[in-house]
Amino acid sequence: MMSTSSAPGQDATAPAPADGLTEKRFAGIRLQEYALVIVVALLFVAGAILKPDSFPTIDNVRNMLTQASVVGVLAIGMTFVIATAGIDLSVGSALAAAGMFGGILVDPEGSTLLFVAGALGFAALIGSVNAIAIAYGRVVPFIATLAMFSIARGVALLLNDKLPVGLLDLNGGSFGDPAEFSLLWFGTGRIFGIPVSVYVFLGIVIAGWLVLNRTRYGRYIVAVGGNREAARIAGVPVRRTILSVHVLMGVLVGISAVLLCARLGSASPVSGNLYELDAIGAVVIGGTSLAGGRATIGGTFLGVLTFALIFNLMTQLDLSTEVQQVVKGAIVLGAVLLQRPEARL
Amino acid sequence: MAAPALEVRGLVKEYPGVKALQGVDFDVRAGEVHCLLGPNGAGKSTLIKCVSGVVEPTSGEILLGGEPLPVGDPAASLRRGVATIYQELDLVPELTVAQSVFLAHEPRRGPFLDLERMRRDTAALLARLGHERIDPRRRVEQLRPAAQQVVSIARALSHDVRLLIMDEPSAILDDEEIETLFAVVRRLTADGVAVVYISHRLDEIRRIGDRVTVLSDGRTTATGLPAATPTERLVELMVGRAVEQLYPQRRPAGGEAVLEVRGLRRLPEVREVSLDVHAGEVVGLGGLVGSGRTELLRAIYGLEAPDAGEVRVNGRRLAPGRPDRAIAAGLGLAPEDRKSQGLLLGWSQTKNVTLVDIGRFERGLLNVRAERDAARVQLRRLKTVPDDAERVVRELSGGNQQKVVLARWLLHHCRVLLLDEPTRGVDVSTKAELYRVIADLAADGVAILVVSSDNGELVGLCDRIFVMREGRTVFEVAGERASERELLRHSVAPAETADLIEEVR
Repeated sequence: MMSTSSAPGQDATAPAPADGLTEKRFAGIRLQEYALVIVVALLFVAGAILKPDSFPTIDNVRNMLTQASVVGVLAIGMTFVIATAGIDLSVGSALAAAGMFGGILVDPEGSTLLFVAGALGFAALIGSVNAIAIAYGRVVPFIATLAMFSIARGVALLLNDKLPVGLLDLNGGSFGDPAEFSLLWFGTGRIFGIPVSVYVFLGIVIAGWLVLNRTRYGRYIVAVGGNREAARIAGVPVRRTILSVHVLMGVLVGISAVLLCARLGSASPVSGNLYELDAIGAVVIGGTSLAGGRATIGGTFLGVLTFALIFNLMTQLDLSTEVQQVVKGAIVLGAVLLQRPEARL
Repeated sequence: MAAPALEVRGLVKEYPGVKALQGVDFDVRAGEVHCLLGPNGAGKSTLIKCVSGVVEPTSGEILLGGEPLPVGDPAASLRRGVATIYQELDLVPELTVAQSVFLAHEPRRGPFLDLERMRRDTAALLARLGHERIDPRRRVEQLRPAAQQVVSIARALSHDVRLLIMDEPSAILDDEEIETLFAVVRRLTADGVAVVYISHRLDEIRRIGDRVTVLSDGRTTATGLPAATPTERLVELMVGRAVEQLYPQRRPAGGEAVLEVRGLRRLPEVREVSLDVHAGEVVGLGGLVGSGRTELLRAIYGLEAPDAGEVRVNGRRLAPGRPDRAIAAGLGLAPEDRKSQGLLLGWSQTKNVTLVDIGRFERGLLNVRAERDAARVQLRRLKTVPDDAERVVRELSGGNQQKVVLARWLLHHCRVLLLDEPTRGVDVSTKAELYRVIADLAADGVAILVVSSDNGELVGLCDRIFVMREGRTVFEVAGERASERELLRHSVAPAETADLIEEVR
């Protein structure tokens, strides 16, 4: 049983991979990611066959990615939250509240910068309230953010007496050809033919991957979710990690709010409805464990694409939003059922 | 002669890439205690899972009372009178004793629970085990581990058990409690129940066993040996060679005090403890389970803030309740339950080893290659099996999991190492390796404080030994003058002996 050949010390020769289960294969993350790549490809092919004129066009793909970026940014933040064995149900409401707060700051006049700062700041504040309640008040994340789900939606509606705020003309925006760094430019402008919001989303995906896989902070996040007591004994600052993850989620909600408002040219108090489900769904489809301790940004990215493709296709097939809602819920339920048993809640 | 209670013939269990069992044969007679021995990974767990129906064997037969047992059907095993008591107590702490005993087969009157009958039957079962003093209405979490063990056994009896499998039942018990357990086992066998008893503590076999079967690498290397077989012979059968020396030779330590504990109190478990550990010294903490040893280590390490007293490392006072500061000051802790407190089971060996010192590999971004190489050096130093730094820790045996925890503190170069039951559930050859590691660390000047319920281990390993009782150190002795008997005598307060199974608090 004992391997006698392994010389102690700095033997640099890498051992041949044994027959057993290494982390990557064991966790099934890689497998799930490969499977998702195939799913994404198949969905695209299906779309191209069903709607050859309108689906596989550059315009449609661009449109799809622009829409996906709003939920995509939320899903990256949600990956971090779920990695700590937490959850955030308030992101959709908080997104609306952040957009409305930025909106009233620049109504009747103001700058894009002020709007962005207002939206990010307000979203960060909401995230901080969640963070303090969870990390220091020891409220279960589910309850803390469920309460915030209600509070933030109420605040969004109160801020401008249930009315949306128009943001079309911030820094010379117009739907046809928005000036650079106008608010609309973030939603509909393009660089080299690719929408600005897609750059923002992809930038956050890459940054998220680096933070999760290549920083101490990322390691701490997953450790806290995987085994809180073991993390504490290893000297991981458990509370600070949980606190910061929820603040980070808030900031990403703010970015997401900016992208949405920039695309629509207005802030609406009823926007972001059910976005928490989209974000959580994308994370779960991607293979991140709801029980914490196992997270994948690549999986989340593919999960976001999968969702975007499915809904674009259903819209093109003239399925009603009610049907889409049923399908969406069913997909999330199915994805959780397909997770390895110990990865479920 | 009647058919044996259990007969296992040519049992094979293959997992993809692994042969857990490669042909196991043995039989257990009614009314005997049959001990099952083998190093970690020998296939003991797989074997008992096959018998209890949790795992379906690839081939081979299992006969109960001469009749074949349907395989892979836990309900059938239970109906045929097979009950298993696992090492980790699988009781729900919040339930009462009666609720635990009848969990999932509660007696009913119409649609409602028959609480009165549940209480009465539980009391009867406990009386049959000689523990009528355990109150069926008490919650399980209020009982001592030994009493919880008795509740587990009562639950097995509530199913009219013919074959009771006990997987390291003594691991969580101290010596006195083990006597209580043995008394219960003897009552069962007198009633004709067959018992399969798994333990790493070879001394127990002679005390409780009738016959012995030894497993190694998924095969039976010997079966039906008398319990009086010499220990050396059993060890040889288990590891395929003789373990020349369990405890390493140690040089006496002469360093200065690195860890100073002064008047530490953490109620209710730790009343008042003062002790020093010098550089290069191995100090043992003996005593009964529940005497406050684990809580003392946790308070020293900063996992709980003490009510009074202080801890100094190299003369500098530690911030109370701050494990991160303790680690920065050079402390390390290998906790009592490595699975739930020490490790991230879904992580690779590498990540588990580097968690404490992960910042060392961060220059803006983590250098995962340097991280893995550094972890591999420590893992190889400890000869962790398998030699694969990316292997998930959940898949390792208990002894190797403990090595991963130790590798973490080797990487940290800690100056004080707190070890809580470091060899619990570890086979004898791995134990010898762990003792070697501990001795080497001490030789490098690390101050080591070891909690152990195995008095033989304390005597063999330690330079000095303290015995704790009711939250205080009541006895101190130099290692070479210590005897197991003396340690035990000081662990138990004279008046308490009779009350051993009594509820705590």
